[in-house]
Amino acid sequence: MDRFQNLLRRIGWAVLTIAFVIVLNFFLFRILPGDPARAGVHDPRLKKDAVEAIRVRFGLDKPVINCFDSLNPIKVGNCGVNPLDTQFFIYVKNLFIGEMGFSYHTNRPVTDILVERLWNTVLLIGAGQILSVIIGVLFGILAAWKARTSIDYSALTISLLVWSLPTFWLGIILLFWGSANGFPIGGKATPGMSSMPLSVRWGDIAQHMILPTITYTLVYMGEYMLIMRSSLLDVLSEDYILTAKAKGLSVFQILRDHALKNAMLPLVTVIAINLGFTVAGAIQIESVFSWPGLGGAIFEAVNRRDFPVLQGAFLLIAVAVIAANLIADLTYTYLDPRVKME
Amino acid sequence: MTELALKTAAPPASSYMLDFWRKLNKNRMGLVGLGMLVVITLVAIFAPAISPYDPSSTSGVGASDIYQPPSAEHLFGTDDAGTDVFTNFIYGSRVSLTVGFFAAFISIAVGGALGIIAGFFGGRWENFIMRLTDVMLVIPDLPLIVVIVALTKPGLLNIIFVIGLIGWTTTARVVRSQTLAVKSRKFVLRARAIGAGRGHIIWRHILPLVMPILVVQAVLVVSLAVLNESTLAFLGLSDPTKVSWGQMLNYAFGRGAMSTGAWWALVAPGFGIVWVVLGLTLLGQGLEQVLNPRLDTHHLMPGRPNVKKEAEVRSDNAKLVLEVRNLSVDYISEGKPPAHAIENVGFTLKQGELLGLVGESGCGKTTLMLGLLRLLPQAGQVVNGSVFFGGKDLTMLSEEEMNTIRWSGISIIFQGAMNALNPVRTVSDQIGEAITKHMPSFPKEKLQGRITELLDLVGIASDHKDSFPHQYSGGMRQRAMIAMALACNPQVVIADEPTTALDVMVQAQILELLSELRRKLGLAVIFVTHDLGVVAEMCDRVLVMYGGVTAEYANVDTVYNDARHPYTQELLKAFPDLTKPKKKLSSIPGYPPRLDALPPGCRFAPRCPAAFERCQIEQPAIHAVAGDSNHVASCHLVEATK
Repeated sequence: MDRFQNLLRRIGWAVLTIAFVIVLNFFLFRILPGDPARAGVHDPRLKKDAVEAIRVRFGLDKPVINCFDSLNPIKVGNCGVNPLDTQFFIYVKNLFIGEMGFSYHTNRPVTDILVERLWNTVLLIGAGQILSVIIGVLFGILAAWKARTSIDYSALTISLLVWSLPTFWLGIILLFWGSANGFPIGGKATPGMSSMPLSVRWGDIAQHMILPTITYTLVYMGEYMLIMRSSLLDVLSEDYILTAKAKGLSVFQILRDHALKNAMLPLVTVIAINLGFTVAGAIQIESVFSWPGLGGAIFEAVNRRDFPVLQGAFLLIAVAVIAANLIADLTYTYLDPRVKME
Repeated sequence: MTELALKTAAPPASSYMLDFWRKLNKNRMGLVGLGMLVVITLVAIFAPAISPYDPSSTSGVGASDIYQPPSAEHLFGTDDAGTDVFTNFIYGSRVSLTVGFFAAFISIAVGGALGIIAGFFGGRWENFIMRLTDVMLVIPDLPLIVVIVALTKPGLLNIIFVIGLIGWTTTARVVRSQTLAVKSRKFVLRARAIGAGRGHIIWRHILPLVMPILVVQAVLVVSLAVLNESTLAFLGLSDPTKVSWGQMLNYAFGRGAMSTGAWWALVAPGFGIVWVVLGLTLLGQGLEQVLNPRLDTHHLMPGRPNVKKEAEVRSDNAKLVLEVRNLSVDYISEGKPPAHAIENVGFTLKQGELLGLVGESGCGKTTLMLGLLRLLPQAGQVVNGSVFFGGKDLTMLSEEEMNTIRWSGISIIFQGAMNALNPVRTVSDQIGEAITKHMPSFPKEKLQGRITELLDLVGIASDHKDSFPHQYSGGMRQRAMIAMALACNPQVVIADEPTTALDVMVQAQILELLSELRRKLGLAVIFVTHDLGVVAEMCDRVLVMYGGVTAEYANVDTVYNDARHPYTQELLKAFPDLTKPKKKLSSIPGYPPRLDALPPGCRFAPRCPAAFERCQIEQPAIHAVAGDSNHVASCHLVEATK
């Protein structure tokens, strides 16, 4: 029962956070001078009735929320408006039916653009995350086990160095090197591949993924290594490791059966907290490698001042990170018997 | 991170930072980082003097000046507009450092203030601030920064404020927990008790103790701000009037440096960012090490090899299960002479015998036990002596051979089973593990039955078998530990203060259990304790240790009625005797000697009521007491009576 309540509480917080992000997103794009329609409305070349038409089309003729016609806090508007007929309510309602407006640039629905790009980002982040966790954890184990030896010191140095590399710059350098050595120069697939058999297409995509994934792995493995190292060092100095040693278990058995699970637990939380940073990495990597993902969408939207896409991409990323955090949180609860009891 | 290594009393406000600085001076990693930052800061300040060209002199450049490779004229070549990359590199440091430091200042000020408020005032404020922090923490930083900067104008001030106002969350968390830890310190409580104002307490008492952690946090926040700024600039969101490293990369990457092969335009600005961030990272690591010094040692580090010696022949007494002869253990730390933790301690153990090992804390009892099982921490080394068990000298075995003897031959119950059991594995699992390790042929289907039987032996019902250690009470855990120690039918069980930290009733139960098991299973037990009452009740023989040496070793009756070593006599005086209720109890003044400052003569001499001149200069050997072949003591007085 306790566990069920715990689950509900956590889901409740995630929903509340998402609500906060939705409200933030709504007001950010209305307070700051980036409202798609308003930007258009201010175009001096437009005739007055055309402006009015745009305002109606984007719902800008409606009050923002109850009591406020505009976002001018001094100017109190009509409080007797039907709350269902405000900009905010329409915005939220549209979100629920998956409607996020139209791209300023291509005039396609933002939802369509983002959904196809979401999977590309998931593919890239997934591959990079798995690789960096595996490599980071392995090196972390090695460094902790061989603490205060030259193995440990070199692993530490390498991870501090890669941690300090700006993701986009590492990407640029790898791309510079790769393009001279026969790697694809960017994108997700070679043009004209759609007519080829599936296996060839997948091979092509895999080839395009090599450099972005290496960038991703290098950037994030350092942090995982540092965390795994210190977490394992903590565990290995616990009394129960001495017990395990006194039981006559070999070093390998102790690491496998007594240390790793305990040391991996904090890592689950870190991976979750890291997802926010991970997205930051994805924006940079996708921008450098022209990878058609959400991060790339943000890059393009910024450069084209395509605000509807920017707004949608931000919302989608934030919701995805919050959801992933929730999942990691619940996984942790499931993995650690001590949390279950609380 | 929560607990600082600073535990002094009332603080003069500046002394913490001074102390901090002094320690940092000894940290190589931190100093290298600091040096790197000083260099780049000087470069930024003296940019006009260092750079060969004016940063704004882009006009009047011909097409032939674009993307020129490095030369004497242009040290780092030229970029897409024909300007000198070296000049831009120098000036670029200004933007990075400005944004980094000012944004971090905002983050630290906001986060620090919120953290202190939450930690100090608690209640509704804390609730609200921490909830807000939780929410902000899961919203991805960079996308939010990008969105806000893209919507507003990407001016320098704008960027500083946006990065600064979004990056405070971790600081608030860290500062809050530190404030909570500091708040309950004695001098803060005292200041509150004498009615000091809240502002005064925060300013004079809390802030100085939060400061070091704030400094570490600041270094981290600066590096994140620098990375965020350069990423923004690379994405095209930078002040167009100010050249920055990220902006240089944006231009070079977007305007053909890749296709023209102009690596210099790409490498130089990236190098600048790496230099700053690496400098900050090293400094941060150094500060962290100063604040939370950790030894980085653990139980799996290879121990020091035992000092080589000739194989000894064990004595020919077939009844002896265990014979420890002249065992000496040193603790070795770099730059110091080895500390003699155990010197020439010996004892024997017959089948079914219960040996009591007594002495104050710090007298080497646990070290002796770990030494004979070869479980010493990395600094420990067996420098002399032998341990005979089952016809073998344990000090001569390889680690693999030793592993077969541990637990199946000699098992150990550690003091404080609280942490001696793995918290994430069930009790039955941990008991079963020992059985499968040492009895590979044990039939699998009988394993659970055997575990139930063992737990039954120590009085734990089988329905608690598959529970986790934290679901047990302290006494149950200790009993589970005993069950585990018995799992492989060992000949010797070492019980290292098995009842400390348990309440008296449970203590009695555990002790009762141990002596019953000894009778039932014919175990030989070494019982480490400071409780002389328990020893009198249970043991056959007693080994009294003091300062790492044998003080006295005799049958239990002899020790109680005819103790010869002054230390034993003093210990007995400090212990209530029910048969002589009028007897006055007395304690021994002073403490056992520190290992790094052992007295030159007898180790007990400084506290000994009977010490005479010889005791101060000469360490007594172990002498047999006349008339009792089983009684030895290391005291010059004993020698005299011979």
